Amino acid sequence: MTRLRAAKSLTVESLDKAKRVAVDLLRETRRRQKDCRYVDLRIEIAESKSACAENGVEKAAQEDYLFSFGIRVLAGDRLPSPGYYGRRLSSADLPHLTTILRDGFKHAYDRAIANARGKEHTKKQFKILGESLTGLTLAPIEVRQDTIKAECSVDPRSVPLSEVSRQTVDVSRAVKSLGARIKFNAISTSTGLSRELFTSSEGALIDQSFATTLGFCWVVAENDTAEQALYDYIGHQRGWEVITEGTRNPLIRHLDLLTFATSLGRDCLRLLDAPPLRATDKEVVVITDPHYNALLAHEIIGHPTELDRVLKMETAYAGRSWLFQDLNRNQIGRQIASPLVTAYSDPGLPGLGHYIYDHEGTPARKVIHIDKGIFTGFMNSRQTAAILGAEPNGSYKATEASMVPLIRMSNTVFAAGPHNPERIIADVDHGYYLVGHRIPSIAESRENFSISAQKVYEIRNGQVGQLYRDGGMTADTKDYLMNVDAMGTDFRLTPIPNCGKGQPLQTKRLGNGGPTIRSRARLIGR
Amino acid sequence: MTSLATLKTAVKRALRQASRATDVREAEVIASSTDHLLCRLNYTSGIPCHGVEEPKSSESFGIGIRAIFTGSDGPRLGFGSETGDLSPAAIRRALEKARHNATADSEFVSLPTPPAVKSSRKPAQLIRCYDPAIMNLTDKALVETGWRVIQEALKTFTASESLAELAGSRDRVPSLGVTVGGDVSLYRQRIAIASTHMPKVQTDESTYLTSSVTAMLENQHAKGSGYTAVPHLSKFKGESGSEAARNAMRAIGGHRVASGTYTVILGPQPVSDLMVNLILPSLSAEAFYSCRSAFLGELQHPVASPRLTIYDQGAGRGLVGSKGITCEGLPTGRTSLITNGVLEGLLSNYYETQRLLHDPHGRDKLGINPQEHADALVPRNGFRLSSRGRRQFDVPPTIAATNVFIEGTEPHTPDSLLRIVENGIYIGRVWYTYPLNGLRAGDFTCTVVGDSYLIRGGRIIAPIQGNTVRMTGNIRHLLNNILGITNQARPIVEWGTDEVIYAPEIAVKDVRLSEIAQFMESV
Repeated sequence: MTRLRAAKSLTVESLDKAKRVAVDLLRETRRRQKDCRYVDLRIEIAESKSACAENGVEKAAQEDYLFSFGIRVLAGDRLPSPGYYGRRLSSADLPHLTTILRDGFKHAYDRAIANARGKEHTKKQFKILGESLTGLTLAPIEVRQDTIKAECSVDPRSVPLSEVSRQTVDVSRAVKSLGARIKFNAISTSTGLSRELFTSSEGALIDQSFATTLGFCWVVAENDTAEQALYDYIGHQRGWEVITEGTRNPLIRHLDLLTFATSLGRDCLRLLDAPPLRATDKEVVVITDPHYNALLAHEIIGHPTELDRVLKMETAYAGRSWLFQDLNRNQIGRQIASPLVTAYSDPGLPGLGHYIYDHEGTPARKVIHIDKGIFTGFMNSRQTAAILGAEPNGSYKATEASMVPLIRMSNTVFAAGPHNPERIIADVDHGYYLVGHRIPSIAESRENFSISAQKVYEIRNGQVGQLYRDGGMTADTKDYLMNVDAMGTDFRLTPIPNCGKGQPLQTKRLGNGGPTIRSRARLIGR
Repeated sequence: MTSLATLKTAVKRALRQASRATDVREAEVIASSTDHLLCRLNYTSGIPCHGVEEPKSSESFGIGIRAIFTGSDGPRLGFGSETGDLSPAAIRRALEKARHNATADSEFVSLPTPPAVKSSRKPAQLIRCYDPAIMNLTDKALVETGWRVIQEALKTFTASESLAELAGSRDRVPSLGVTVGGDVSLYRQRIAIASTHMPKVQTDESTYLTSSVTAMLENQHAKGSGYTAVPHLSKFKGESGSEAARNAMRAIGGHRVASGTYTVILGPQPVSDLMVNLILPSLSAEAFYSCRSAFLGELQHPVASPRLTIYDQGAGRGLVGSKGITCEGLPTGRTSLITNGVLEGLLSNYYETQRLLHDPHGRDKLGINPQEHADALVPRNGFRLSSRGRRQFDVPPTIAATNVFIEGTEPHTPDSLLRIVENGIYIGRVWYTYPLNGLRAGDFTCTVVGDSYLIRGGRIIAPIQGNTVRMTGNIRHLLNNILGITNQARPIVEWGTDEVIYAPEIAVKDVRLSEIAQFMESV
């Protein structure tokens, strides 16, 4: 342990030194550079431990730190334009941070100036088509200085790596012991503490810390006639207690990793004996549980309400949004869902999507996307808010400091409704109950979706009956939302640890959720 | 960037330091310097925009050490790395982390050893296969690559008489909702690697450029794509922008297609998407070990139409994804995956090959005795890749393809393929192709988002409107229903992936298409 401490010469506390350097440098840089309109700097230090095991065998363990920074400069004479620079650093870089950051500023500034010149040239060259090329402005925000501490019972730094590895292996062994029909299992865990500094030439200085712990289980089971592979996660912005005790928050409930993983293994075995679901050509009544609806909210509420995607910035990658064709033709103020449906993003909720300030220092707030069926608004950044004349709502986040932030979900959810979830099922003569999300395939502008479920049960005369494997549902988004006729009271948040967006791809942890929902859709199956 | 000489010196020093440690049985050291320079593009005629939206970079260098430590409970394998520092102190820290992180993996056999039979190819031929213009790219030149694409796209739209006519006049072209998005990505990477088993430091250095562009005429629901992947900057003229603009104009007046079963031609992008999301993941040794592959237990068995051959070629000169050595210091080369429909070999790294060779269930998983068919498991694809810009010192080796070729037995041209189909659908771009019931089940679904057309009488007659069709099927069914494959391929690098797919066009019968999103007609 002593030798590792020497090896790990960087800790989250090292950011105190970086903080002083950053503030001084930012002040100096904007003053010195010609036509420099705005600068911001993010520095992050994270300490983490992780382990993985397969079939009860220890596979890998890692204790390490991450130290990185990212700079944004807006510069230019007539058409201010952005330039970015990001890098990962070493503990040996800490004493030389001023020089390194100064070099980073120079790159970002040079890129911004070259970009502004390219824009001016193109605007002149293409006259009519050049008219929409404009200078970049940021919508104003309340500039804050603040420090936010991480919340946890068992500090990730206090858990020995050997303990992280031991518990991971124990869970994997327990899943293996479920029987010979379990052909493979992989368990992984991670726990860490990260500290992020944001400072801007406007005077912002935000220092936020987060504790995050995740557990993952993947099981493959097989008999003579069928196979089944399931995976799922637990996770929360807390310490190692997430793995050992689970989470019993009123909005987030999951079991400890051992119980969670063995339960998933047992589901996998049960599904081997279940028939595959047959696809339907016609719509049927579908009831989806909160876990399934977490991914549904993610795909059909969260992504199409990210304003960068809405403004076509993701056209070549993650896609656009059916909610917005252009500034004159869009769904703002129109009915797109049943009056029972309200949906929103709220960084104030607990879980993986929780934060107080985003990565440009904007105080994060709840954004209502659908209010009783009426579409009301988007998640935004300062740049995109300025285009729509909206108030920034603090949704600009990066996976790590060296990467350029994107508009991201925080906790994007369907709101709870008035219906008893048991009655939602009991009132159905014939339908299907989809439990647990599995794999999505969504249309480019999110106007249609197909999401498979971990388990599908047939409902007859209000009773949950036959279990099916390899099924799910597909529908056009608006039709599905308009057909919702019951929203449960049983709201839950679910961790989504792997949302991919951006170029290069950034994988982000966030939260999604909802209650039990009843609507109509076609079944997908084998 | 850190010079190759500096990386080499650091690796030599680190191997020496590791070898001196009394508890180190075997060690492998890798140092890398990798930059991903990128311009994200976003032009919209109807929304205020910035053209080159994000000129940026992701840069890193450092050293990683994988070592086997002896101990009272048996050998332990550990990995540790240090970022941004190649000094003796950094090497000490990386080794200490490896020791601290070490685990007792009972399936581990050894670190990579040199191949028994030496490759006749000279890896040194590839080592200098890089472009100094990319290696020495300035910030200004980076930004210019982005503007070049935007300008080429706008030039193409501006020059079109028919577009001006459609809009009513040249001045009204912006009212059509002209959109150009995508990126230009420049990769430059250097690695040096040595180990106890291969103490001579090997190095590799490569550069390449990719550009993926989507252009739209939003008000016409017309979308077109353009792609470029080249090893040299001088070969890039911004043509991904002009191609996307041409394809967007070609998509004006798109039709809807009724739900049904069709004979289709899959264009290069859909072929690439199916490869990246379904076929290649099923062709990795790790997928066989973990019982996830759609081809489990079928080595040496027919798994596709006899018309189909797929192989990975990591060492081809002038190919975008070529590398001189793997990130385990082993030779790259050609790996036959499917030959005339028969599953012949798997993509593998050293660890997975050894694991399958010693797996008591190996015969069941592969369908052959691995000990008798080790040539199906040659570890030519052990790479340490990261979304932060390809080859990285700080991740252990996983399995990744390099340049993937898909070939047919008959030399079809695009025209002869159209004639085979006679009446059907050309699908040029799909989106979100995922295995909805898991990789092994092989069921997949995706939506058709652009570059697609109706085929009648062996000719393309009209565009299909994007985002109106969902394709659903099973990968085994699709691979067995191949009617023909063109002899022309183009390199495609899919979003968020590393491999380069040299993708042809493939005609397939009995493909299920469903009409979707009818409500959008009234939105």
